[in-house]
Formats: sequence, C-alpha cells, structure tokens
Amino acid sequence: MSEPPAPTVPASRGEPHAEASTAALPGPLTPGPAGPLVLGIETSCDETGIAVVRGLDLLADVTASSMDDHARFGGIVPEVASRAHLEAFGPTLEAALERSGVRLEDLDAVAVASGPGLVGSLTVGIAAAKALALALGLGLYGVNHVIGHVAVDALVHGEFPEEFIALVVSGGHSSLLLVRDIATDVVELGQTLDDAAGEAFDKVGRLLGLPYPGGPHVDRLAQRGNAEAIAFPRALSRGKDLARHRYDFSFSGLKTAVARVVEGFEDAGVEVPAADVAASFSEAVADVLVTKTLAACGEHGVTTVVIGGGFSANSRLRELAAERFAAAGVELRLPPIRYCTDNGAMIAALGSAVVSAGATPSELDITIDSGMPLTQILAAS
Amino acid sequence: MSGRTALSLPDAEATQALGRGLARVLRAGDLVVLTGALGAGKTTLTQGIGAGLRVRGRVSSPTFIIARVHPSEVGGPDLVHVDAYRLGSLDEVDALDLDTSLEDSVTVVEWGAGLVEPLAQDRLEVELVRPRGGEGHQGREAHLRGVGARWAQVELTGLLQ
Repeated sequence: MSEPPAPTVPASRGEPHAEASTAALPGPLTPGPAGPLVLGIETSCDETGIAVVRGLDLLADVTASSMDDHARFGGIVPEVASRAHLEAFGPTLEAALERSGVRLEDLDAVAVASGPGLVGSLTVGIAAAKALALALGLGLYGVNHVIGHVAVDALVHGEFPEEFIALVVSGGHSSLLLVRDIATDVVELGQTLDDAAGEAFDKVGRLLGLPYPGGPHVDRLAQRGNAEAIAFPRALSRGKDLARHRYDFSFSGLKTAVARVVEGFEDAGVEVPAADVAASFSEAVADVLVTKTLAACGEHGVTTVVIGGGFSANSRLRELAAERFAAAGVELRLPPIRYCTDNGAMIAALGSAVVSAGATPSELDITIDSGMPLTQILAAS
Repeated sequence: MSGRTALSLPDAEATQALGRGLARVLRAGDLVVLTGALGAGKTTLTQGIGAGLRVRGRVSSPTFIIARVHPSEVGGPDLVHVDAYRLGSLDEVDALDLDTSLEDSVTVVEWGAGLVEPLAQDRLEVELVRPRGGEGHQGREAHLRGVGARWAQVELTGLLQ
C-alpha cells in the first residue's frame, strides 16, 4: 500500500464516564436481508486472522502466521506469539478491508475470539476489538474459538441443518458436540481426557525425530506406511471404559504405546520402521474419532456431521470419515483445509450467526477466558 | 532437606492415588516439579492432585495453552498446571497473567526441571519413571524429594495409603 489509510476513528469524544459509555452501548442488531456485515478477529494461538463477512458471504479473509518464528524454538512460545500478533494486526486489518472493499464505518459488528487459547495472544485480539467497537460505536461480540471452527463451514456449505454433530479436532482440542443452533445451543458430548489429537501427533513427530510441528510430517510419512503393521490401542472403546466415557477421547496412552514401540526397536538395534509406526498410529487416532462420531449420530438420530479444526487436515481422518460416513448414510461437511486451520473467517462466521440470532452484544469489559467452556458461545462479563 | 522416597505405582490408578495423597500434604504456595519421559504419567499424577484438592475443570494436558488454572471448589488453594516444555523460565509463568497468584495456589510444573530451581528454594520434586520399550510391565516408579525448609518435616512415604 502506497500510503497509510486515513484514520477512520471518530474525533475525540473526551473521556467518557462509565455510566455514559454503558448507556451508549449498542443493542441487538436487526440485519438487512443480506445479513450483517461483521469483522472477525482471531488471535487465540499463533495466527493473526482477520476477515469480513456479510451474512454467509465471505468478503475477505487474511491470515498472518508466526509459525516460522516458533519452529525455531520447537513449539509455540507465548511471548513470541503475542508480539507477532501486535506487529501483524494493523497490516492484516488493512489488507482485509482493502480486499473486501469495506470501510470500517460500514461495519455492523465486531466479533473476536475471546477464548479458549493462549492468554497473551487472545489479549491482543480482544484489546484491538474493543478499541474498534468503542471507536466505531459498534456491538462487540466475544465468541468461542472452538465453536468458530464449526461455524466456518456455513460459509462453505451454506446454512446448517436443524441439528448436527460436530467434531472439532486440533492441536489444543478434541471435542464432540451436539449442535442444535450454532448461535445459541451447543451441547458438549465429550472431549479428550488428556492430550488433544493434534498434540498427540506433534508428540509422536518428536518421538520419530521429525521437525516441529510434527503433525503434517507424521501424516505424510504415514501415507507410505502399513496401517496394519502395529496394533495400537483404541482407548475408551470397550467395556467399562466405553460405558463411562462414551464420547470422550484419550490419546495419551496411545502416545506412550508409540514411545515404547519405538524404544523397543531402538533397544533391539533395529531401524525404526517410522512409516509403519506413523501409519498404524494415524489409523488408531482416525478410527476412534470416526467411530465415536458415528455412534453419536446414531444415538441422537442425526444425519449430518461437521468436522473442523486444524487436525481435520489429516489425510487419513478425511479418508476414513468420507468412507464410513457414506456407508452409514451420514452427510459429511468438511471445509477445505484453508478453513480448518485458525483464521478470521471462522470468528466472522460465528459473529454473523450470533448477530443474526439477535444476541445482545458482549459488554466492553469482557475479559479473555483461556479455558472458555465449549457450551459458552458468547462471552459474558 | 529430606531424603528421597521411592514409591512403586503398578497402574494409572496408583499414579492418581499418589496425586490424591500429595493433595493431602500440599498447601497454598507450594511448588511441585514433575519430570519424566513422554508417557510417564505426569498429567495422570496431576489429575490425582486436582481430584484431591477438589478443583474445578478437567485436568488434561496443558501443552496447548501452556498453563491452566483450576479454581478450588472448596475454598482451598487453586491448582495451577503448567507445561514448561517451551518456556524459557518460570518468570514467564507470572508473565502469563493468570487470574491467580502463585502464593495462593498449588503450582504443578511439568518439564520444569532445570528452570525453576533458581526461583524456588522450597519445592517438591517428583520424577516418574516408566519402563522402556519392550519391557513387559506397565508399572511406574515415583521418586520424591522435598527441597527446602518447607519439606524438611513432611512425611512422604505414606502417600499411597
């Protein structure tokens, strides 16, 4: 861009009094027929994502990532991530506005991921969102990052059915949800008791000596291996464990089993068959995820599943889900990979849904919630 | 400084039971440093501590969000569960701006060895050892060592009872 855009913040209104600013807070919106024009801000981990949607139309989606910085450290470093968000925020916002052809003053609402995620990272996004909402006189909607991973699919595949099952799998989450209304009614059926699916992949990547983040490397390696070479355990899938944890996951024991198999080869002085280990491990993870999701469909009489989150990029999960869901007559809605990883579009999509449902905006004093429960769609003070 | 206590943990339930036993002796301001290879049972032990302290929320791996605060449900200390694998020092735990102070909480740091020693004169070190590779059994061993005046008089041998 040749020159910085003219400031669009209204001229100083002086120091607002607490009562005055509360009284001036915008109420629920009545969007036009094309739906509300919503800015979505996502900074829960290491991507700075900003997007603009009108209703279910994605007008722009821009992402800056600090992953290259983290790769040097072998993991996400909170301080590096929050500094990167600060630096990336302005240019990312400008790019999103330019690509969408939308001016800040045209917006109807500002949505921001208020949790769960890294404290320092979330703080940057929510501070920026509050400043924009206050300066523009718009409603602020602090929304749940994990539900955003589900909501984004409506931008790709259109309106959601009345009721569906959502599987959200990423480096930080593995959750099975029953969604009756993406804006108002989400029930958590189960989640991981220990490691998230993506986290287990990253740790197995470390065990196999692959670079960080290990997930994609393990996935690529697995495609060359024999998935039946090693019988890895399917946790919480039988008897008493299954009865107690019908829709919960556990990947910690599987990770330990992989560690011991790898050590067994090393101790025997045999080269580790890394591709077979990766393939057998991937199969165990995908099998449990797909089996439990289908069981939830059966129990709740639901015929649509949405899969979201960064780990839904995993090739074996996509393959196995497509195969088994088709056989069971369940419709699988799986967004393209670029919408599965963290981005602004998912937050704008959920913001749009929440605004369209007539929700009252969040108060301007909401804080981030790094452990935000999945049943909470909109942040409360 | 107390000596080292070794405890045998035949299964994951025993690891959780040790956590509950530890919760009986842990007080606000205490620091527990957990070490052990991937899969040794660090998160499982912390789950037991959380159950014993009666804190809110499911104790699972904190790797993604680095640190998680579990508020007490019974007016006791909160549990701060930290994965220090990617942290440069424990100073950064304070910098994480958690909604609780470490003086009012029991802080459990996984992968904290080598990071926290300069900061904490009193700490309980717990090393979990799991069998390697092809060894047949599933059991773990816990090695406990209290460091500093806080732990000088604390009896650690009966924690599994």
